[in-house]
Amino acid sequence: MSAPGAGRDGKYRPPPPREGTGWAIVSYLIGGMALYGGIGWLIGRWTHIAVLFPIGLLLGMGLALAMIIFRFARQ
Amino acid sequence: MSDVQVITTAGGCHLFSGCGFPAPSYQDFLFEPIFTIGRFQFTKPILLILLSMAIVVVFFALAFWKPKPVPRGLQNLAELGILAVRDQILRPQLGSKGDRYLPFLVSLFFFIWLMNIFELIPPILFPATSKYAVPLALTIIVWVTYISIGIRHQGPIGYFKNMAVPQGAPWWILPLLSPIELLSNIIVRPFTLSIRLFANMLAGHLLLLVFSAATWYLLSPTIGLLFSAVSFIVVLLVTGLEVLITLLQAFIFTTLTAFYISDALESVH
Repeated sequence: MSAPGAGRDGKYRPPPPREGTGWAIVSYLIGGMALYGGIGWLIGRWTHIAVLFPIGLLLGMGLALAMIIFRFARQ
Repeated sequence: MSDVQVITTAGGCHLFSGCGFPAPSYQDFLFEPIFTIGRFQFTKPILLILLSMAIVVVFFALAFWKPKPVPRGLQNLAELGILAVRDQILRPQLGSKGDRYLPFLVSLFFFIWLMNIFELIPPILFPATSKYAVPLALTIIVWVTYISIGIRHQGPIGYFKNMAVPQGAPWWILPLLSPIELLSNIIVRPFTLSIRLFANMLAGHLLLLVFSAATWYLLSPTIGLLFSAVSFIVVLLVTGLEVLITLLQAFIFTTLTAFYISDALESVH
């Protein structure tokens, strides 16, 4: 028997992604934007600096992308 | 109101007869109570939920009442369904160690599928899952299940540590990432799970309503007849698509349930 993950020609093939992976990525993106966008919105409301809301959204999206890379792209 | 009711209330309303197109709306998802007990209103969706439950229970009880080693008839059919859920949904996510969750997943799959498929069966023509309360209740059951499995298998502290600490991330960014992981695991997951089923069934039902109402509305001895015929063809096509979608949505809901359970079982993702 060949090693797990090895293709027919013996080269390594990464295992196919599980079906939940795509949905996990979606939930990270939503979660990141909702959380940091929400925090930015609240602080912006408090300090009357409206631009904190879009900054929070971008930060959340960036962090969610970083998390997706850490978790799924570097296995 | 169902499709049939929309068409009958549209009544003699046709193209060029003055009255506008009876577009389906939110009202088509509200039902007159069949009967009321105090302030509790027993409506068509509740009837459909009970009916689906009864069909699943009675079908599997009859099929396995006196199980034979060589299955015949109903037992054959039921075994086919159970094996399909096991091999297509449970095994790819959980492996053979997850077989103890098979009864839960089988009941979930067939219950949701029946509620969905009622959309296409005359004279019912309404999917109970297009009322948000139904997917929401199912999701709460799934949520409680996978969280309690996680707590039992990894201990409360270990499980919440796993839910809060994303795999593979360097330590210095953890304070920023942990809240996302926690939010995504505890709130976004169940939310998207319920919304996915609900939105798909709502959209499918609305599509069917729009095109069947259009078929009737445009039916007149004018050029409208042509458009009416096209609408009717679209109704047929959408019905075909919905057959697929009812099955697919039940499949996705159950697959994701299995995925969440497997996440709760294993300490390392």
